[in-house]
Parts: sequence; C-alpha cells; structure tokens
Amino acid sequence: MNRFFALWRTTTVRLTAVFIAIFTVFAVALLAYLAFQTSVQIQRQQLGAIDREIQQILLLDMRGGVRAVAFAIDRLADRPGPGIYYLADASGAALAGNVSVFPGVVLAQPGQYELTYERGLEIYGGTEDDALTTGIAVVRSIELPSGLRLVVGRDIGERQDFTGIVFNTFLWGALAIALLSVVAGGVTARRVLRRIDAITGTSQKIMSGNLSERVPVTDRNDEFDAVATSQNAMLDRIEQLMAGLKEVTDNVAHDLKTPLTRLRNRAEAALRDSAGDAERRAALEATIAESDQLIRTFNALLLIARAEAGTPSGALAEIDISEVVSDVAELYAPVAEDAGITIKVAVEPGITMNANRELIGQALVNLVENAIKYLPEARTDGGEITLAVRREGDDDVIEVADNGPGIPEADRDRVFERFTRLETSRTEPGSGLGLSLVAAVVRLHNGTVQLEDNAPGVRAVLRFPQR
Amino acid sequence: MNGPGVTSPGPLFIRDRGWGMKILLIEDDREAANYLTQALEEAGHTTHHASDGDTGYAMATGMDYDMLIVDRMLPRRDGLSIVEGLRGAGDQTPVLILSALGEVDDRVRGLRAGGDDYLVKPYAFSELLARIEVLARRSNPAEADTRLQVGDLILDRLSRKVERGGETIVLQPREFRLLEYLMKNAGRVVTRTMLLENVWDYHFDPQTNVIDVHMSRLRGKIDKGYASQLLHTVRGAGYVIRE
Repeated sequence: MNRFFALWRTTTVRLTAVFIAIFTVFAVALLAYLAFQTSVQIQRQQLGAIDREIQQILLLDMRGGVRAVAFAIDRLADRPGPGIYYLADASGAALAGNVSVFPGVVLAQPGQYELTYERGLEIYGGTEDDALTTGIAVVRSIELPSGLRLVVGRDIGERQDFTGIVFNTFLWGALAIALLSVVAGGVTARRVLRRIDAITGTSQKIMSGNLSERVPVTDRNDEFDAVATSQNAMLDRIEQLMAGLKEVTDNVAHDLKTPLTRLRNRAEAALRDSAGDAERRAALEATIAESDQLIRTFNALLLIARAEAGTPSGALAEIDISEVVSDVAELYAPVAEDAGITIKVAVEPGITMNANRELIGQALVNLVENAIKYLPEARTDGGEITLAVRREGDDDVIEVADNGPGIPEADRDRVFERFTRLETSRTEPGSGLGLSLVAAVVRLHNGTVQLEDNAPGVRAVLRFPQR
Repeated sequence: MNGPGVTSPGPLFIRDRGWGMKILLIEDDREAANYLTQALEEAGHTTHHASDGDTGYAMATGMDYDMLIVDRMLPRRDGLSIVEGLRGAGDQTPVLILSALGEVDDRVRGLRAGGDDYLVKPYAFSELLARIEVLARRSNPAEADTRLQVGDLILDRLSRKVERGGETIVLQPREFRLLEYLMKNAGRVVTRTMLLENVWDYHFDPQTNVIDVHMSRLRGKIDKGYASQLLHTVRGAGYVIRE
C-alpha cells in the first residue's frame, strides 16, 4: 500500500492519471457524437422510406381505388422486415396490414408518432404463434382521399439495438483503454522512479563519503541522461575542489611548518649556554625576520581566501585603473632601475572599472615584483617590463609583460595554484602565493587571467568584462 | 642649535610633547598589554591599562589622556563602540585602533567610527610607537602650516617649491609628497608602511625594498653635497627627517 502511495506521489503517475481522464472524456464525447449522428441518419432514412411508400399508395388510391390499395398493403405487409402497415376505414375498422390494433387517436389525427405496437395479429393469413411480437415503431398516419385511414411505419427496435451496441462497445472500449493506460502509466512511472532512485541512491552514497560514485548514464540520451551528465560534471568539479583543498592543506602544513621549525631551532640555539650576546642578538633578529615572513604568508593566504569567497559588493567602487597601473609603475620604477630594468607604460587614460583598488594594486604589485625578481637572471641588460591598460571591445584589459626567462607552457596554469613554485625558483625567497593572489583577485572581479608567450618573456593578461 | 625645552618652534616642541604622552591602553590580552605597557613606559610615555571595554570607556571619559590605543575586539564593550561613544561626546583624543582584522573594509569601518589610525596585528612595536607619535603630532596646529622647515631645508606647500640653503631643488610630484609627509612629521620616525599608506595610499606590506629606493633617491636630491644630513635611516624602524 505504501508502495502504491509512493507511486501515486510521483509526477509521472499523476500526469498519466490526468491524461487518462482527459483521453476518456474525449473518447466518450467522440463516440457519443458518432452514435447520435448515426441514429439520426438511420431515422432520416426510415422516414424517407415511409414517405415514399405513402406517395405510392396515394397514387394507387387515385388510380385503382380501395381494392388496389388493400391489395398492395397486404403485399407490403407480407414482406418480412421492419415495415409496419395498417389500413382502416373511416370508422377505424381494420381492412389490411400487419398490425393488430392502433390507438384510435393515431387514426383520427394524421401525423407522426412513435409508439409501441403489437405485431402479427394479421387480418389476412399468417399464424398467431410466430408473429406475436411487440415492438417500438415510428409511424405516419394519413387520411386517403377515399376516406380510408392509412398508417405506414418502421420498426425502430433495430435502430435502438444499434445504439445499444455502439454504447456497449464504447463502454468496454473505454474500460479497456483506461485499464491499459493505468498499466502503461504504472510501468512508465516505475521506470522513471527507477531512474530517479538511481540518482538519489548515488547522492546518498556520495553523502556518506564515497565521492568517486557517479550517476549511471544510459545511451538513450533522454532528459534523465542530461540530468545525470550534468550532475556527474558537478561531482567531478566537487571532487576536483576537494582534491585541491587537500593539496592546499598539505601545502599550508608544509609551508608553515617549515619556517615554524626554523623559528623554534633559532630560539633554542639562542638559549644555549655557549651562545654569546652577539649570537643571541643575531638569532633573535633572525627569529623576527622569520616570523615576519610567516605573517606575510599567512596574510596572503587569508587575502586569497577572502577574495575567493568574494568580498561584499560594498568593497568595490568605481576606480580609475589607468591611474592605479600608472601608480604601480611609478612606485616600482626606481627599484626596477636599480636592477637594470626599464618599466614602460602603455596606458590609455581614464579607464574606469568597478573594482577594489587595494586588491587590484596588490595583484599588479605581485606581477611586477615577480618580473623584477626573474628578469636579471635572464638578461644582464635591456630588461623591460611593460604595463598596459586598454579597452578591448567590452573588456578592460590590464597587461604586465616582461622580456625575461618566460614560463614553460606546461607550467602556465600551474603557477596560479597555491604554493606552486617552479623548480627554477625554489632557491629564491617567496611564498609561492603571489600569482595565486593575482588569480583570486581577478576571479573576484569576474575576470580572467592568462599567461601568454611574450617571445621572449611572459605576458600576464588580465581581462575584465564590463557589464 | 637650540637646547631642548627652550622656546624653539617646530620639532623640538613637538618632541617634548611626544615624549611625555599619557596613554590609555584598552587591551584584553594580558600578556600583550604587559609588553606594550612596559615598552611604552621605556619610550617615555605614562601608560594606563584597562582590560575590558566598559572599564576602558569609563577611564577614557573620566581622565584626560593624550592618546588612546584601543583593541577592536574587547569583552563587554566593542572597541569601535568605545571610539564612537567618545567621538559622540565630543572627545577628540587621538585613537589608534588595534585589530586582527586587516581587510580594507575593516580598516575603513575603524576609521569611520572615529579612529585616527588602524594597525593590524601582529605588528612591530616600532611601528606602533612611530604611529602614536605621529598621531600626537597631528593634533598640533603645525599641521596647517603652509611652510615647513627643517634646518635650512624649506618646503612651501602652496607654491610647491623646495629649497635648501637658498638653492631650489626640483622634485617629482611623488617625491614632493614624500618629503612633505616627512617634514610634517619632522623629528618623528615614520615607518615604510606609513609612507606607503600616506604617500601612495596602499595598505599592503611592501615585500621588496621599494620604499628604501625612493628614499635613497630623495636623499640624493636633498642631502647630497650638503654638509649636514637631514634624512636619517632608523635601523629596524624607518626614517626620520631632523636637523
């Protein structure tokens, strides 16, 4: 019973029920119309036949008189079939026909009647046994010019039988249709339920911890497969994020524990009895430097996390990014110059964007600092960093390009991940978070960041679509 | 030239005032408070301490302090609410807000509440000291001077001209702002982050020596070739301009 209610609650079953109801109503209406029309048609034909016979008898009455009429009626009455005939004199006494008696009113008042009659008590010939039947008939009664009364009619039992047959056929048919629909609906619903159960079952397995579970996809390519495919894609993404999170946690553990260990070692060394004052002082200074670096890493991680979570829109304001880029170029020009690097600026003036100035500035600083860090090892002179801002169609584009060592194509996506440090740079100071912050800031501003080959060097392209 | 304590205008007068500040520290972390109190006393400032918001507010309204250092998250009464309360009552004592929350938004909220400066934990004591001494200077009318002078170096804020010993020194606009900020706070140590904040309006921690390079260029323009050095580097803290 529960199973039945569960089935009833499904959309498929309800839809099927509604369709059965609608279909049945239409079928009933159609069949009823058909039966009615057929019945009307048959009646029209019968009345036509009655009229034609009356016309013939009227002709006969004019030419041949009473005898001929009585003779013809007898002949007609003897024919087997639905015909009903009755000829009476002006007083109502029967002269010929195949009907025993008619109500006086029918004979007295010409017109059309529908009535029950007794058949078989023929006046001339025939046996009483085989003809004692009653029936229902439609009749027309007229007065012949000779003063005789004539009733011609047709038994309509057949017509009513026909309607009955149609009605019965329809009833059974409708029942069969309803039954088949219920069965078909049930089967469909069960199939749908099975597919849905498969999806919910997978979800439950995933919720209980098995993230690698996937919803089965059939080769039918139906809407369920569409749902399953998109759900699987979502699961892939979640699994990927979880893996990323785990990697980050591992990296955080490694990248924070290593300097913490160094910090502790230094403090221990300073406490050693053999350490002199100068050594102690040096150890303490190194401890402070180390903790500052730790704080920086920590701040960068927090900033990335905040940027990735998306800061409230209140933190965004319409800012002049041309100015921000020029400011950063100006801030770093002296440092770059000391390292033998020229900072070039190709800024279209007055480009504004809804952005967080601090974060955009920080991202640019990270890119410029990266370039300054790696340029000198690639070239001893002619190092160049180009900062550019321009509007490209609907996009605001910020570019930071250098002519340094470049980044191998295979590593270009990887460098945006947290704590990624290319082997070549392992020896350099740094947290491996600079580019991750850039990526997070760009994402926060609904933009994209891409590293392109600057031949030689690398070009970071930050693209922000304008609404 | 002039000894301390005499009627010399400018830096020396401020220095005297700065050394003698009476500070209220409202901070609930006992260890941090002890360390700060001790360090501030060593730097010559009388320091009172309150360990919760209610007590802190009562002390701030009941006594006359030169400087308030308020932790943002406090038991009983939030640091921002203390500052708002004081400002609402017309108290204009300079306030430095300490906070573990370092986002731009948090900073803006702190300054909007009436804080004069905002320092993110963890911080170096030298940074805190430099900031409160500059804050104390801020309430001094010298802030509005159109002509700043340190020794024979003169900066005119209206004509935007700089000269030393009668010779004009040509500075880039940013160098002018740098020097202006240093001279406004002559005799006071300013840190690299303070320079980045006040001259470039960025609040991040400069990782490379960007500020140092700017300072050495400025020094090249104002000190090079002159007998006395005005711009000094304070090891482990920042820079100071003084005679």
